[in-house]
Amino acid sequence: MFSSIMAITIFVGMFVFIVWDKYPKHYVTLICGALTSIFVFGIGMRSFHAFEETIALGGVVKPSFWYAAGEHAEQTAGVNWATIIFLWGMMVMVEGMSEAGFFDWLCIKIAKIANFEPKRIFVSFMVLSAILAMFIDSITVILFLAAVTIRLARTLKFNPIPVIMAEIFCANLGGSATMCGDPPNIIIGTSLGYSFADFVVNTGAIALVSLVIIIVYFYFSMRNRLQDPSDKVDPSSVNMDVTISNMKEFITATVIFGIAVVLLVTHAMTGLTVAFIGVFIAALTIGAAGSKAIKLLKRVDYHTLLFFIGLFVVVGGLEQTGVLVVIAEFIAKVSGGNAYVMLAIILWVSAVASAFIDNIPFSATMIPVISSLAATTGVDLSTMAWTLAVGTDIGGSMTPIGASANVVGISTAGKEGYPISWGTYCKELVPGTLIVLAVSMVCIFVRYL
Amino acid sequence: MGQFIITIGREYGSGGHRIATILAEKFGVPMYDRNMLDQLAEKNGIASEELHKHEEMKRRGLTRTVRGFSSSVQDSIAQLQFDFIREKAESGESFVVVGRCSDDVLRNYPGMISVFICGREEEKTRRICDLYKLNKIEAKAKMLRHDKNRKAYHNYYSSMKWGDSRGYDICINSSLLGVDETAEALYVLLKNKIEQ
Repeated sequence: MFSSIMAITIFVGMFVFIVWDKYPKHYVTLICGALTSIFVFGIGMRSFHAFEETIALGGVVKPSFWYAAGEHAEQTAGVNWATIIFLWGMMVMVEGMSEAGFFDWLCIKIAKIANFEPKRIFVSFMVLSAILAMFIDSITVILFLAAVTIRLARTLKFNPIPVIMAEIFCANLGGSATMCGDPPNIIIGTSLGYSFADFVVNTGAIALVSLVIIIVYFYFSMRNRLQDPSDKVDPSSVNMDVTISNMKEFITATVIFGIAVVLLVTHAMTGLTVAFIGVFIAALTIGAAGSKAIKLLKRVDYHTLLFFIGLFVVVGGLEQTGVLVVIAEFIAKVSGGNAYVMLAIILWVSAVASAFIDNIPFSATMIPVISSLAATTGVDLSTMAWTLAVGTDIGGSMTPIGASANVVGISTAGKEGYPISWGTYCKELVPGTLIVLAVSMVCIFVRYL
Repeated sequence: MGQFIITIGREYGSGGHRIATILAEKFGVPMYDRNMLDQLAEKNGIASEELHKHEEMKRRGLTRTVRGFSSSVQDSIAQLQFDFIREKAESGESFVVVGRCSDDVLRNYPGMISVFICGREEEKTRRICDLYKLNKIEAKAKMLRHDKNRKAYHNYYSSMKWGDSRGYDICINSSLLGVDETAEALYVLLKNKIEQ
């Protein structure tokens, strides 16, 4: 009992500190992880085995962590090292791509293809944002897209705020389409053993339908606020180009990105785990970077990786003490065993929770809950996993603090003198989020039940 | 005369803004206050009110920070103004700047002289009553509200505390000589220092 109370107290305290945003998040989760180890595993449970199982370092040295034949993906209890290692690898790759000027080049190229016409840029950047976010973390996608959007807006005299908000939304939506698009998906995939292809076929299909609908919605709701007709700039007078300073570096980064995509798409067939792919891609990037390797490694966001480690320990405390099973039983009771109600609860609770709290700890907490639900109610685990992924990924779009991409987009715009307040943000993106959630719910009900 | 930057921190109603205006006129240099946001708004083609309503405020409401990026509009506007001031200082221009944590932002510039203007409550209240046609209770409430916000803003974004004499080169009570006389006295003092 003591250990359960401590696990819940530490978990709630961690969330409060994360939302308070006063102290760096990785300090919060690491301290809470240490407290969980002492008070839950040590004093409460007196179980070194529970601690060992949560830290889960033993799993990393097993061959199945790096190579899993057939469709059995890697699984680790407690700290999800596969997620952490994969994210690290992708961060190294993205740093290499940024260094080579890949994103600037791509954004300007697309704008050029759109003939520097604001409405076309608006639509094409939404699509670009969604596609890039399928493979690259949404922070990087928005960082570059928002910066280029502001440059284009100043040259072409259009209002960048609707464009940036639509890009944020589409980055979150695109992220929901694949296993590596959004951290909750990586955690879900690696914890429950789903492949990249599983995500594409399931959450990817939902994301595609939603993307088409949302592009139409944003286009008609925002197009008139994009530009005053009197501000129209002749596209032929626009002189914007990005020169690649180091073509060899650029080609190498692009090829490595291509290899990463191929390895991810085929990982269920090749048996290579995402942890392996992460390390392999990072090794390629570091090898190709030569003297810049140290610089790239230094730029990796280690704070986020430390945040994950602490978080997994805290969630492990809840798991080991059986608190999450109680939550699962509660959901099963409320829904009366009805799959429709159960999935609706998972979708909407995940979405609303992710709108206000970080979706990473939320999804990490919910995975054992849905596993337990599947075992006790007989509802298909994969259906609940896709519902959880869609709810957490899409729900984050609802508020300025719901997802990392939102924060980065708002901050980039604000620093350039285009403030996006809570009111402005929610007025534009809450209706869009509700539409996509409703569409997703219909898709899930029709397809899986 | 080399580059000089005069930063003016002030209590609400102390006449700090008026003193800054007089000093800028006497030295023949530009004065930056909320007008720096007007320039940015014009550059971006947006209404300056959009920027003004968030300036000189510490972050409020639910916010989140990711890799050093903040979702707070107040943080963004503050950063925007700090960058503006830094750019001006970097360009070698001499100027007078009112508030915006400039005493802290420009602390490392050798040409900076930081001034804090305070005042007696009675005089400040009277001044606010005259300027905004308010009664004393309204004026005091306005003064308290503004000073509370300025203090919170300054203390949030600066390493030194608002109004703490250790954080400024000169602290002066404008109620002692009156606003215009204080400006004159400061002008003489600053001119001597700048010409040294």
